[in-house]
Amino acid sequence: MSQAMATMGRPHRKAGVLEDERWFASALLFPTAVLLGLFIAYPFVEGIWLSLTNSRVGVPGHFVGLANFDKVWNDSIFRTAVWNTCWYTFITTVLKLVLGLWLAQLLNRNFKGKAWVRAFVLLPFIIPTVLSTFAWKWMFDPTFSVLNWMLFQLGFITTRINWLGEPGLAFASIVIVNVWRGLPFYAISLLAGLQTISPELQEAAAIDGANGWQRFRHITWPLLLPVTMVVTLFSVIQTFADFQLVYVLTGGGPANATHLFATYAYQIGIGTGLLSEGAAISLAIFPVLFVVVLTQLLYIRRVETR
Amino acid sequence: MVEGSRWRRWVSFYIPLTAFMVVLLFPFYWMIITSVRPDKELYRPWNAKNYNPFWTWNPTLEHIRMLLEETMFMTWLWNTMLIALASTIISLICGVFAGYALSRLRFRFAGMLGTGIFITYLVPQTLLFIPLADIIRDFHIGDTPWSLILTYPTFLIPFSTWLMMGYFKAIPKELEECARIDGATRWQAMIWIILPVAIPGILSAGIFAFTLSWNEFIYALVFLSSSEQKTVPVGIVSELVRGDVFFWGSLMAGALLGSIPVAVVYSFFVEHYVAGVTGSVKG
Amino acid sequence: MSRIARRRLMQAAGLSAAGGLTGILASGQAPAYAQSTTVHWLKWNDFVPAADELLRKKLIPEAEKQLGIKITLETINANDLQARTTAGIQSKSGPDLIMAFNSNAQLYADSLADVSELCEAIGPAQGGYYQIAQGNSNDGKRWISVPYCIIGAEVAYRKSWFKQAGWDQFPKTWDEYRAAGKKLKAAGHPLGQTLGHTFGDAPTFAYPMMWSFGGKEVEADGKTVAVNSKETIESVKFMTAFWKDAFDEGGLAWDDTSNNRAMLSGTISATLNGASIYIETLRKPDTYRTEDDKPMKEDILHGRLPAGPGGQYAFHSAQSTMVMGYSKNQKAAIDFLRWFHTEGNYRQWFEIQKGFSCGPAAMWEKDKMWDIDPVMEPYRDAAKYGRVPGFAGRANQKAAEALTKYIIVDMYAKAVQGMPAEDSVKWAEGELKKIYAA
Repeated sequence: MSQAMATMGRPHRKAGVLEDERWFASALLFPTAVLLGLFIAYPFVEGIWLSLTNSRVGVPGHFVGLANFDKVWNDSIFRTAVWNTCWYTFITTVLKLVLGLWLAQLLNRNFKGKAWVRAFVLLPFIIPTVLSTFAWKWMFDPTFSVLNWMLFQLGFITTRINWLGEPGLAFASIVIVNVWRGLPFYAISLLAGLQTISPELQEAAAIDGANGWQRFRHITWPLLLPVTMVVTLFSVIQTFADFQLVYVLTGGGPANATHLFATYAYQIGIGTGLLSEGAAISLAIFPVLFVVVLTQLLYIRRVETR
Repeated sequence: MVEGSRWRRWVSFYIPLTAFMVVLLFPFYWMIITSVRPDKELYRPWNAKNYNPFWTWNPTLEHIRMLLEETMFMTWLWNTMLIALASTIISLICGVFAGYALSRLRFRFAGMLGTGIFITYLVPQTLLFIPLADIIRDFHIGDTPWSLILTYPTFLIPFSTWLMMGYFKAIPKELEECARIDGATRWQAMIWIILPVAIPGILSAGIFAFTLSWNEFIYALVFLSSSEQKTVPVGIVSELVRGDVFFWGSLMAGALLGSIPVAVVYSFFVEHYVAGVTGSVKG
Repeated sequence: MSRIARRRLMQAAGLSAAGGLTGILASGQAPAYAQSTTVHWLKWNDFVPAADELLRKKLIPEAEKQLGIKITLETINANDLQARTTAGIQSKSGPDLIMAFNSNAQLYADSLADVSELCEAIGPAQGGYYQIAQGNSNDGKRWISVPYCIIGAEVAYRKSWFKQAGWDQFPKTWDEYRAAGKKLKAAGHPLGQTLGHTFGDAPTFAYPMMWSFGGKEVEADGKTVAVNSKETIESVKFMTAFWKDAFDEGGLAWDDTSNNRAMLSGTISATLNGASIYIETLRKPDTYRTEDDKPMKEDILHGRLPAGPGGQYAFHSAQSTMVMGYSKNQKAAIDFLRWFHTEGNYRQWFEIQKGFSCGPAAMWEKDKMWDIDPVMEPYRDAAKYGRVPGFAGRANQKAAEALTKYIIVDMYAKAVQGMPAEDSVKWAEGELKKIYAA
C-alpha cells in the first residue's frame, strides 16, 4: 500500500475532466461501448432487419413485416425445436445442478490428491466442444459403440442400444454429452461457494443436533444460493443457444428429433439459404431467453440485497 | 473431514467420487487409446470376438505423426493461443473498466447500461455471424487473427463485466475514499487501490474467457480461410474429417493435444478461479 | 500486424516464382494479368485424398505457370461449405471459386457469375453434359456453375455373403433385394443405409426409392406438389417393412461416414455409397479383411439400386464449381476452370479418382481408366441414369430447399420410426407445399 501511495505522487488539488464521476464513468465504458456497439449492436440490428424482410442468400429482399415469424410459428419443425430446446435446457440444468452440488460436496472434503482431482475434474469443460463431441460421437457410434460393449459385458443389455438412432435415445445422448461437459463448471464454482461457508457454522449446527440434511437445507443451501444462481444463469444462456454439440452429434436428426433453436436456425439460414427465416428463428430465442434470464437476474438481485 | 465409520466413508465418499471421476474422465481415456490404436483395430464392431476396447497390444504413433507432420497442427495451436490470449486481455480490460464504472460510480443510466451489456450476451451467435462478415470485410481483417481477436470480446465482455461488477461491489467504498482524501485521482485510486484487491476476480474472469475463446467454432470457421491461420477446433475438423472417411486416430490426438495448453492454465489457476468466483458473488 | 505483412510478402515472393519469368518462358507468352491476381478456390476435402494431393503438387503449379496467376486452394470439411458460401455472398468477399454440392448452386443463382460460355464450350466438346450435371448447374436460363464431376452412387455388396444367401448376381428389383436382405439379416449380415440428416448418402437413397415406385415431389410445372400419391405411400410402406426385414437399425443415426465404417468392419453386407469403400479396401488390403482373413477388396462388388414398379433410378451426387459474382478475378477464375477442364488436364485428375468420380460429360465413360478394374464397371455410365431433386420439375431453388431440409429423407425416417405411411407422406406434402407456395 505504501508503495502504491508513493507512486501517486504528492497530494495536490485534484483536477481534470476525469475527476468528474460521470466523465470518468464514460471514459471507462468507452472501450466496451465501441467493441459491443460495432460488433454486436450493429449486426444485431441488421439481424432484426433481416428477419423482417424476405431476403435469401445474395438477394436483399424487401420488408415483409412479421411474415417470417408467422411462417415460423406455423412450422411443425420449429415447434419441435422450441419444445426440444426448453426441455433440453431444463433437464440438463437440473441434472448439472444436482450432480454438481453432489460433486462439489465431495470435493470439499479433505483427502489425499485433492488438488489433482480438482484439476482433472475440469478437463471436460476445457476441451474444445467440437472435438470432445466427436469423441462422444465415436463412443455412441451404432457399429463401434464402446458404451454398448461395456453395458453388454456388464450384462445390462443383450442387444445394442441405438444411441443416436432412436429419437428418444438421441435426445438422451445430447443431454448426456451436455451434462458431461457442463458438470465440472458447476462443481468447481459451487465448490468455490462451499469454501466460503465456515466450518464452525456447520459444527455449531451439528452440536445443536441438526442432521446432515438439515444442515444442508438450513445452512449450506441458503449461503450457496447466490453462487448457484449465477452459475445457473450462465449455464442456462449457453445451453439455450447450444449449437456445436448437436451440429456435430446428430445434425438435428433423426427426423428432427434433436433440433434446437440454433441448429434449426442454422439449417434454414445457411443450409437452405433462407437468411430471413433463419434470422427469425434465431430471434425467437430472444424473448424466451430474455424472460428466463430476467427472472433469474431479479432473483439474484433480491438475494444480493437481502 | 472425511468422517464416519469405514464403510460409511466408502459409501458416502469414495464410491461416488470414483464414479464421478470415471464418468468424467472416461472419454479422455478413450481418446488416448484411440489416438495410439492402429486403424486395423479401430475398425472392429463392438460385438466382434476378441474385441478389447480398453487396451491395445500394438500401439502406434502413426496418427500423432500424421497430425504433426501432415497438418499444420502446431501453427493452429500457436494461432489459437495468440487469439485466445489477445481477446482475453482485451475483454478483461473492457470488463474491468466497465464493471468498475457500473458498480462503483454513480451516474445516470448505470443500471440500464449494465442490463444492456448483459443482454448482448443473449444474442445468438448464429444470428450474428452473417452480418459480422460484412464488418470484417469492411475492416479488411478477414483471414487474419484480428477478425477473431476483435469479435471474440463480444461474448467475453458481457460476462467479465458482470463478474467484475459483483466482485467490485464487495469491496468497501472507504478504501478508495481514503486514497482520494490522500490526493489520489480517481484513475489512480482505481488502478492502485481497487484493482490489486480484485485480482482473484480478474483471474477467474480471465480463465473463463480464455476457455471460451479456445472453444469457439463458428466465427473461426467463417472468418478464417487459409490453413495457416486456422484455430485448433476448426483446423482439426476441416482437415481431418475428409469426405466419408474420418481420421479418428489423428482427430482424437488433436483433440487431446489441443486441450493441453488450457489444461495447464487451469492446473495453475484452479485455486484462484475458485477464490475469484466466490468473491464475485459474496456481495 | 507484422505477421500479416510477412504473409503478404511471402505471397508476393511465391507469385513471382511461379508466375513470373519462369512462367513467361514456359508458356511462351506474357501473362495477361497483373501480378497480383490470385484466385482463391474453396472446395471440400476430396473423398479421394490423393486427388487433392495431385491438385496441390502438380496441377495447380502447372496452371499457375501457364496462366500467370496465383491459385490458392483451400479445402474444408464438406459440412461447413455452405456457411462459408453464405458468408462470402452476404459480405461480398471471399473465395473466387467455391464448390457447390448437388443443386446448391441453385440456392445462390443470383450471386453467381454467368459461366454459360465456358459450359457451352466444354459440354459439347466432351460428348455432352449429363442430365444431372445440366439440371444442377443450369437454372433454365443460363449456366450458373461449371460441372466438376458426378459421384456415382452404387450399392457396394459382399459377394460371398450374397452368394450364401442364394444370389449370384445383385438383385434387380426391390422385391428381390428385400428377399435377399431378409436372408442376409437373419444370417447376421444386414444391409446398411442411413436415414439421418446427412447430405450425401441419405438423399441418394430416399429420392430414387420414391421415384422407382412412381412417386414424385412436384408435377412437371414445378409448382404443384404431387408427393401425396398412392405411389409414394406405397414406397413408404415398402420401405418400412424392408427396413425391419433387412436393414441394420442403427442406420437412422448414421452420417456419411458410418456406412463406410460398418461395411469395412464387416457388420453389414451391402450399402449404397460412392466407390470410397472399395477404394479404401484397395488402399489398405492388410487392414480390411474378411472373416476368413482374405483381403476384403476381393469380396466387394457393386450393383445398381434396384428397380421398382415405376422404373429404375438413381440420385448421384454432383459437384460443380461456382464463379462467385462478387469476385474481382472472375476472368482469371474462369480461365483457370477452362484450363482445368481441358481434356489432358482433367484426365490426370479423373484417373486418380479411380472411378469414385465420373466425368460430368459422356465422353468420360469411354476413358480407358474404366477398363482397369472390372469391379468399378457399374460406375462407368452411372451418371446416365440419374435424376435431379425436384423431379418432375427442375432442380431449382425450391427443390434445393426441400433437399437441404431433408423432407423426403425424413418422410421415410418418420415412417420407419413408426408413423403410419399415410401420415408421414401427408407431413411431407405439408412441408413441400410451404416451400413451393412461397
